[in-house]
Amino acid sequence: MNQNSLSPELLQKAVHSLPEDNLSNMRLEAADRFSNMGFPVKGSEDWKYTDLSQIADLTSQWLNGSMQENAVDRENHNTKIVKSVTDSIDAHWIVVRDGVIDSDITEPHGTTIKKISAVNKKIVTGNDAMSVFNAALLRDGIHITAATPLKKPIGILYIDGPSSVITQNRAIIEIEEECQLQLVECCLSAGIGKQFTNTVTDFLIAAEASVNYVRIQDRDFEHTSVNRVNALLEKNTIFNHNGFDLGGALTRNDIVTEIAGKDALVNLNGLYLASAEQHIDNHTNIIHTVGPSTSTEEYRGILSGDSQCVFNGRVFVAEGADGTDSNQYNHNLLLSERAEIDTKPELEIYADDVKCAHGATVGQLDESALFYLRSRGLNLEESQRVLTHAFASGTLSKLAVGVCYDYLTDLLDNRLELLVGAAG
Amino acid sequence: MLEIENLKATIAEEQVLSGLDLSVNDGEIHAIMGPNGSGKSSLAQVIVGHADYEVIEGSVEYQGHNLLELEPEDRAREGIFLGFQYPVEIPGVNNAYLLKAAVNAKRKHQGQDEIDAFEFLKLAKKTMELLDMDQSFLNRGVNEGFSGGEKKRNEILQMAMLEPKLAILDETDSGLDIDALKAVANGVNSLRHSERAIVLVTHYQRLLDYIEPDYVHVLWEGRIILSGDKALAHKLEENGYEWVRTTVSS
Repeated sequence: MNQNSLSPELLQKAVHSLPEDNLSNMRLEAADRFSNMGFPVKGSEDWKYTDLSQIADLTSQWLNGSMQENAVDRENHNTKIVKSVTDSIDAHWIVVRDGVIDSDITEPHGTTIKKISAVNKKIVTGNDAMSVFNAALLRDGIHITAATPLKKPIGILYIDGPSSVITQNRAIIEIEEECQLQLVECCLSAGIGKQFTNTVTDFLIAAEASVNYVRIQDRDFEHTSVNRVNALLEKNTIFNHNGFDLGGALTRNDIVTEIAGKDALVNLNGLYLASAEQHIDNHTNIIHTVGPSTSTEEYRGILSGDSQCVFNGRVFVAEGADGTDSNQYNHNLLLSERAEIDTKPELEIYADDVKCAHGATVGQLDESALFYLRSRGLNLEESQRVLTHAFASGTLSKLAVGVCYDYLTDLLDNRLELLVGAAG
Repeated sequence: MLEIENLKATIAEEQVLSGLDLSVNDGEIHAIMGPNGSGKSSLAQVIVGHADYEVIEGSVEYQGHNLLELEPEDRAREGIFLGFQYPVEIPGVNNAYLLKAAVNAKRKHQGQDEIDAFEFLKLAKKTMELLDMDQSFLNRGVNEGFSGGEKKRNEILQMAMLEPKLAILDETDSGLDIDALKAVANGVNSLRHSERAIVLVTHYQRLLDYIEPDYVHVLWEGRIILSGDKALAHKLEENGYEWVRTTVSS
């Protein structure tokens, strides 16, 4: 038993403690599978720089009941947080607290929103350890079927803490042919202290449909989260994703998109802001199974303090996926000498007629731009702030869901203030 | 206003100014001419406080105070402006934002209230008209994707908005077609003022047909070796810089 495994008995016990429902069999099977897998081990291919070993400990302590609930963040108690988000972003909100879905869901016309346990379909749990773990301890999840385009986006607000320390979230989103879906996801904490959240989101995008998806993670600085997004694209579909990671102690995102139909388009954009000892790891995997198809990707990071970030962008072009056009960029701004970024583009091409470009940059603020601003009377700190904002603003110009623009700019402004302030 | 004595400066341990003297008074326009590598741009950069340059000897007094001990932003707030030879492109920073931040930094330094949005826009639009600049430039990134001429006009726009006491224009004429040159000269001439001094750093006499200088200086190997009035510029144009060297050494 390695240090990253969890006692099978403990896991079984935890599964049995959940209410008996349509998902019981899935949980038990998943618990079995997970017991043979264990948590990912640092140093393995996909987890080279990210260490989940403390999650195994935290989970054991929580499951065997030797841990207290976390303190409530009174200032930001969760009703207040819910209100601050739902008032700022005009969307059809679904609120999920500690993995429990609020019951007052209203279904907009042409869209079905149900609990996964209420949908009579077999759930594909996934094959990676964290998805399997998610299935084992999942209380319930959200199942959305979008058949008609809506004026407003659908919003999912995940709030974790203080009553649970280990939380599993899952959403399955089916977009029917020719439908367009806008989705905003906010991930926040209501508790202070060590917590772990594991979220899986599946998009099944039918022919001619499109998805605009913005995900904003601004959790407490002691929060660990693992987040997986799977998107399957049929022919002539579009998947636009913007991920913003601002909070958390340790954050790992896996975005896996599979282009299964011709003329599909994937756009992945991300921004990560890390300070102090934050660790943010973005793994993306774009699979071009057929061509012609297009993918673009741009991730930007601003790092200060002793933070460490990882970007691993894989593009896979299968045999016969001719006409694939893919470009991928990762730009990093280091505001501190101690901050670290490990960036790696990975191209795997088995087709002949493809166009693939990639690049990564790591640097400090441009000295000549800093001097230019100072020569106009802006002081050093203000010049740094202006240039740091400018670096981040590139990702906002590609925002897939417009209604969260103001909320995001406020959030980014505040966060960047801290980053620049702490950089010196 | 500006008194430079025996100024010696280096960049990356290479001496670029070697005992330069220059005196500029209120209301005057000085042209600094010289061949490539003579130290023209270095002089401009040292005056505004670029950190790559190290002053190893001499003094620079501005309005009776030691200029060299001020940070670049404080020099700007005290009324020194440099129109860059190569203005930097700053994508993501809005041109209007920079203009307003610059104007307000100076106002704050002088104990004035911040400019209100309406007044600012009115002033900016008026100045842009004078420079034959489209108003859409206000909403673009600073110099982002601007042509050479547009960048230079943008420098003059900033200068006009900041109303400096001492304006140094580094090769503002280079790379400009005749229309852009006229627009830029127009802008500079409109700023001629009895309490403002302008230093034009230029390689060619051409600019001086449009902006008439009171004094012309020839810079050679980091020193001013010849000074005169605008007739000197014409003489340089006719005879080339080699002529200066033979004249001075004989």
